[in-house]
Amino acid sequence: MRIEISGLTKTYKGGVAALDGLDLVVPTGMFGLLGANGAGKTTLMRILAGIMLPSGGHVTVGGHDLGTTTGRTAVQRDLGYLPQDLGLYPDLTARQFLDYMALLKGIDDRKVRRRRIGEMLEVVALTAHADRRLRGFSGGMRQRVGIAQALLADPQLLIVDEPTAGLDPEERIRFRTLLSQFAGSRTVLLSTHIVDDIAQTCREVAVLAKGRLIFRGTVAELTRRAEGQVWSVVTDGPAPADGTVVSALPAEHGMRYRVVAPTAPGPQARPLEPGLEDGYLAVTAR
Amino acid sequence: MIAFAASLRYEFRMQVRKRSVWIVPALTLVLFLLIGGSLLRDLFDPDEVPPEAKTAVTALAVQVYALLTIGFGCLLADRLVRDDRLRVAAILDATPARETARLLGKYLGAAAATAVPILVVYLGFTVAYAIHSHHPSAIGWAAAALGLVFLPGLLFVAAFALAVPLIMPAPLFRVLFVGFWLWANLVAPEQIPTIAKTVLHPLGGYPLTALLGFHGIDGRDSWAGPVPGATLNFLRPHPTPATAWLSIGVLLVLAAAALTSAHLGKRHAD
Repeated sequence: MRIEISGLTKTYKGGVAALDGLDLVVPTGMFGLLGANGAGKTTLMRILAGIMLPSGGHVTVGGHDLGTTTGRTAVQRDLGYLPQDLGLYPDLTARQFLDYMALLKGIDDRKVRRRRIGEMLEVVALTAHADRRLRGFSGGMRQRVGIAQALLADPQLLIVDEPTAGLDPEERIRFRTLLSQFAGSRTVLLSTHIVDDIAQTCREVAVLAKGRLIFRGTVAELTRRAEGQVWSVVTDGPAPADGTVVSALPAEHGMRYRVVAPTAPGPQARPLEPGLEDGYLAVTAR
Repeated sequence: MIAFAASLRYEFRMQVRKRSVWIVPALTLVLFLLIGGSLLRDLFDPDEVPPEAKTAVTALAVQVYALLTIGFGCLLADRLVRDDRLRVAAILDATPARETARLLGKYLGAAAATAVPILVVYLGFTVAYAIHSHHPSAIGWAAAALGLVFLPGLLFVAAFALAVPLIMPAPLFRVLFVGFWLWANLVAPEQIPTIAKTVLHPLGGYPLTALLGFHGIDGRDSWAGPVPGATLNFLRPHPTPATAWLSIGVLLVLAAAALTSAHLGKRHAD
């Protein structure tokens, strides 16, 4: 499902502009959305999920106009949505919760529903806990229930907002793989500020800042944006003041800093090969 | 229709499992029995029980309904706002299920679950009375009281209990609701302006009087109609079957209005 966004704005009460004339095209496949907190990612995702109306602009998903009730409902029939701050009903078991969600997604055939719920519980490795109340689930288990409900109706569009938050490293890798396998001919919009999640799963990426699009291209292109701007600085003094410090590791004589800066942040700075995180910082630092 | 049925089923299931749904009416009942002002005991006392089965079970309906509806309204106060509090609202709203269907399912499911203990108490005592006094007709009169008094009244209370906490904290609503319930049902109209004995009477004064022929245990009380010296008498026409149905209709229309406001309010907030 191709997503076409033009001139999208969203202004909250009090005049806070979360989206400011956003233009973006999201093709089929895995697509990453990067941006700092407050960049407008979650607002964009809520609009695409049909749960928030924009203040202006135009959005179509798979040809359906999200500005109309009919269009939103049509998109929601093919949508899986995992919000950033996911909540569940503590009084229900995982199986009951998924059954409720399946019914709301229109899976009315009981046999189909049971089979699909069983498959999803297996996919997220919760079969053994299916009949336990959600009240006792850990953060990671709750997130896995959220993933299961998002995939229940085999959606053509999957919108996932910070999906790996709360997952341990193994679960994170498992989920990333699941997303990549799931994508295929579908559209998966992955919003995160964990750059590594994008690097491992997406070919194309967009970067938002202050509600505007500041980059759109391939992951390799974003990485290249930092070429000639990544430096290693070893010092026993204070951290380099110029540029953005990406990492700091203890070294034999002081600290080794990885810095993204347009020019060498000192005479002892050595150039390094850029990574995706460096590219992201190079783009957002402008 | 699927969304409505699903919402009704799961809201009922979640609410009926809540311990407080059972504890609150149980404690209220125990308290009422302890203070000794209850027909619950008199029904089985040959010296106190009303002679007619109709009067006995209708009077029981009035007492059970007036008393346990206070807890009913308070227990429902968090049902609509809790989807936001639990952060479930986003994934529910992202489904193709219509919001009106979900709201209606939630309303009827949660209200039905919260009403279960009330019905258990009322029907339990009615059946016990019917057996004890050899009055099988009591069951039929109880069914009539359920349909004409309990049902419209509980639907009215449930709608407001879901809707009002959208504009004020649920604990505040509970306090105000208890005050409203006492004011609207128990205050004497000749003393303070009140909607008691009007067509808006949540206790169902008009259906009690005009459809069930109830005039108190001693047959001399007035539950509807003009009250000499009272204000708001324009809302107190003479009780007839027509005004009784009008009163039921008014409560249901007000319930529908409250739910519509809740629906529009939620949509506006989004």
